[in-house]
Amino acid sequence: MANIVSKKLSNHVFTMRDYTKDKKPEELEPFFPNEILRHCIVTCFFIAIEFIAVIVFPLPWKFVNKPDHIPWFFLPIYKLHELIQNDVLFTVLLIFGALLFILWPFYTDGRKCNVPSFDDRHSRYMKKSNNLWQRPILFSIVITVIIFVITLCFINP
Amino acid sequence: MENKGFLREFIENNITRRLIPKGLSWFGCMGGLSLLAFIIQLSTGIFLMFYFIPTTKDALTSIQYVSHSVPYGWLIQRIHAIGPHMMIAMVLSHMLRILFRGIYRHPRELHWISGACLLILTFLMYYTGSKLSVHNGNEHFTVHLIYFYALHVIGIPLAVAFSMGMHFFMVRKTGIYEPL
Ligand code: HEM
Repeated sequence: MANIVSKKLSNHVFTMRDYTKDKKPEELEPFFPNEILRHCIVTCFFIAIEFIAVIVFPLPWKFVNKPDHIPWFFLPIYKLHELIQNDVLFTVLLIFGALLFILWPFYTDGRKCNVPSFDDRHSRYMKKSNNLWQRPILFSIVITVIIFVITLCFINP
Repeated sequence: MENKGFLREFIENNITRRLIPKGLSWFGCMGGLSLLAFIIQLSTGIFLMFYFIPTTKDALTSIQYVSHSVPYGWLIQRIHAIGPHMMIAMVLSHMLRILFRGIYRHPRELHWISGACLLILTFLMYYTGSKLSVHNGNEHFTVHLIYFYALHVIGIPLAVAFSMGMHFFMVRKTGIYEPL
């Protein structure tokens, strides 16, 4: 019984993508120690930076004119609230924005780019690159939103 | 005997004999760092729970007590206060990398949905946490303080645990996005 349960667990719930099936051996590297080492290095960096921040940074941290209790990541939302001055409209906008953000893949996913086509350079079938800068409309929407969010931080309504 | 075999097989399949695509980017570590930042918040938060008193009268005093009288309390309290800034920076960088490289696309839509929920929950976690150290003497606020405390230590963490479980489950199923 225990055997069946553990087999089911390892075969189904814990199933992990097997890269050896569709890749040549020279395209692969061992997870241990290579990837583990990479993670250990960034972990040490992160902990060092966190300790430096704990010792160096005064809280609350102020880089533009704002009330002390507003952290940098809430600043655009706070400024937007000041700009709109209508709680209902502001809440509706926030919820609408959150929904647009969560559902992003569903209205931007161009299925056409998902079909593999023959790539001359690598001489095999591959999916077209997914990078955002190869999709000019989406790219300009994202950049406009980012510029809008950054601008919000600096305006004084 | 069976269990020993299972454990060994599990470690070999997942760690020691596992092969991954060559040349993964260092930016790919941002998700792992978000998890690390979350674990730091979780452990320092559990420590603070032993001392925090969620009433308007005692909230601020109990935080001051941890900072001044408990050995290394100041360090743990400061880490818990600075940590969210680091965590949100990591989660945002992770999200921007996924967005600009188009990794949210089929078959990774559900990774994005669970991830986006995690980002929103992280913001809510910060918001409810920041309310706990606000000094406000009126009685009406005590009720709010307890709401915020309950959400901060139980409600939102449960939602985070669920979303994270889903996120990691998905990542394991599809494997990480491979470089060209
Ligand atoms: C608390 C927050 C989060 C944690 C702890 C977390 C953790 C992780 C980890 C460990 C991975 C696997 C390795 C990697 O590619 O980095 C991953 C992958 C992924 N995450 Fe997150 N994540 C978080 C938030 C987000 C957010 C906000 C999004 C996007 C809205 C997101 C979308 C994704 C996607 C699409 C993948 C798959 C990447 C791939 O296949 O290479 N995650 N996440």
